[in-house]
Amino acid sequence: MSALLSIEGLKMYYDTQKGSVKAVDGVSFQLKKGESLGLVGESGCGKTSVAMSIMRLLAENARIISGHIYFDGKDLLTLSEKEMNKVRWKGISMIFQAAMNSLNPVYRVGDQIIEAIITHEPEVTFEQARERVKALYELVGLDPGRMDHYPHEYSGGMKQRAIIAMSLACNPQLIIADEPTTALDVIVQDMILREMARIQKKLNMSMIYISHDIAVIAEVAEKIAIMYAGKIVEFSDSKTIFKQPRHPYTIGLMSSFPSIRGSKKPLVTIPGEPPNLLNPPKGCRFAPRCPFATNVCLEKEPPYKEIDKEHFIACWHPQGVKRGAEDKDA
Amino acid sequence: MPEFIEMKKIDKGRASTVGTVVKVEHLKKFFAVRKGIFSREVHFVHAVDDVSFEIKRGGVLALVGESGCGKTTTGKTLVRLYEPTGGKIEFLNKDISKLRTNADRMWFHRKSQIIFQDPYESLNPRMTIFDIVVEPMSVQGIGNIKEREEAVADILQRVGIAPPETFMWRYPHELSGGQRQRVAIARALILKPEFVVADEPTSMLDVSIRTQVMKLMLDLINEMDMSFLYITHDLSVARYMADHIAVLYLGKIVEMGEIEEVLQHPLHPYTQALISAVPVPDPEFQREMPKIKGGVSKPIDPPDRCRFYERCPYAMEVCKGTCPPLIDVGNDHKVACYLYNKNG
Repeated sequence: MSALLSIEGLKMYYDTQKGSVKAVDGVSFQLKKGESLGLVGESGCGKTSVAMSIMRLLAENARIISGHIYFDGKDLLTLSEKEMNKVRWKGISMIFQAAMNSLNPVYRVGDQIIEAIITHEPEVTFEQARERVKALYELVGLDPGRMDHYPHEYSGGMKQRAIIAMSLACNPQLIIADEPTTALDVIVQDMILREMARIQKKLNMSMIYISHDIAVIAEVAEKIAIMYAGKIVEFSDSKTIFKQPRHPYTIGLMSSFPSIRGSKKPLVTIPGEPPNLLNPPKGCRFAPRCPFATNVCLEKEPPYKEIDKEHFIACWHPQGVKRGAEDKDA
Repeated sequence: MPEFIEMKKIDKGRASTVGTVVKVEHLKKFFAVRKGIFSREVHFVHAVDDVSFEIKRGGVLALVGESGCGKTTTGKTLVRLYEPTGGKIEFLNKDISKLRTNADRMWFHRKSQIIFQDPYESLNPRMTIFDIVVEPMSVQGIGNIKEREEAVADILQRVGIAPPETFMWRYPHELSGGQRQRVAIARALILKPEFVVADEPTSMLDVSIRTQVMKLMLDLINEMDMSFLYITHDLSVARYMADHIAVLYLGKIVEMGEIEEVLQHPLHPYTQALISAVPVPDPEFQREMPKIKGGVSKPIDPPDRCRFYERCPYAMEVCKGTCPPLIDVGNDHKVACYLYNKNG
């Protein structure tokens, strides 16, 4: 099966007075139809910039330097703004970070979704759109009777459900959800994640979840891409990433994450801080913080290559720790 | 810095008679909200409603709960940023609402400190790192310029802001989030307090930085023999930081005890739901569905019944009566629920 979304060598820089910030620097991955991908990394690693490049919603000082983004066979980077507008919402829709706080407070929530439908599908009548919103409300677990209420009458979880309904309004093939549950309490977060996973399966949609929280990603994503300083350092299915991580950063991330289940393992701290992307290190960008770094890491950038079936990694010294096996011994 | 050693000595003498640093009894904090025409109706938000707990010397109590449950209000009341509506807070055997003399108040503020959640807002952008960290010393009038400089360099070094000589004269905007939180910690610890309220100190930080700051705080707690009230919404962070835990729901403690005991054998339906909702960093782990209905309401003039009544899957007739008391079920494990106290 061919990929629904295929990104090849994407580079996107922000021009600033101090020089260009290399926010996305050579990112490639593929996503099949019906698949969910988790894009994980710390703030400033370029996760959101990748999403914004796919949607082509870039800030004024952002420049796509090179690369291709193929969606459904078309290179989105070559489309005109008018053609791109047809892809947005109908092909790919996005749930922005903190989107639930950007609902317009003076319009009814249902009307805001209807407006989105009519703008993007002018042939749809108001009545048809209203029917569709009703069905969407049921799909995301909201009472359709609340369509005529205003955002302040919704709780945080309900607003997030409405935002999910809105992202589904034009039947997209792919939804990009940027930190969809970050501002929510843990019980509401759980409900929303379950709802999103259920809808994704039911409609056989593709999803990209963007998050800093690997526990959230573990719950919803089948494939995981770990990003560090503008690059994907490791990519595989989620089981492999969690059980047999090979990149030192992935391993560090996994073992620095506290869990409330299982035995209380000591947490590992990764020393240092992520590099400034104005002037990233010459070789591997993780090398200054990496316990396994050697001279080659500081000098030459490691290639991003497939070391196992559908397991990609950019590292000169892949580690072979099998976390599952290690746990059993302990 | 001779001054510190001396101070520590005096207070060691005072404190060695007790094992408890903070003792809170029936603490209440209500906020008035006005409604209706000309704001004639006065209602009260019961942010903290009859909360009692103790923190031992060197102990860390995690206060967990969802947003709006009263965690931060409890923390701020404990360091007297809020005046309590009712109840008693004893700090080193002294009732802190009865600190009449200036010297007593100075003593209290020297011994108790707070670290805030957001290091982007809690540091004055127009002050240098030195000015920020030295401020508690200047307010307390401790040391001369040279001693203060040494103390600041010392604590900055200790929290990992190194080399201190170069960082001291920078401004907060020149530091990263993790470094700012370290500065906030340095400011809280420069007077070697005995009790610190840490209000979600790592929730704004990235994963790899968060572990560093958690480790730093744990090291400092052990080294300086401090007591912490660690406020967090993240149970997994609480597990690593604290030895005891109190779960707060709409201003009331619903469960309290030794942390592993509570996390492994949660009794209250709310604690159980909270724990089962925490995502697990393991794709093969199948969590059960949290048994809970609806969303959090606001504690405005709440009726006298279990606060969790509307959302509880096990709600009974008795729960509509009065609020269940916090009872000890053994192992120092306390729970406020009629499931375990049927004759209540």
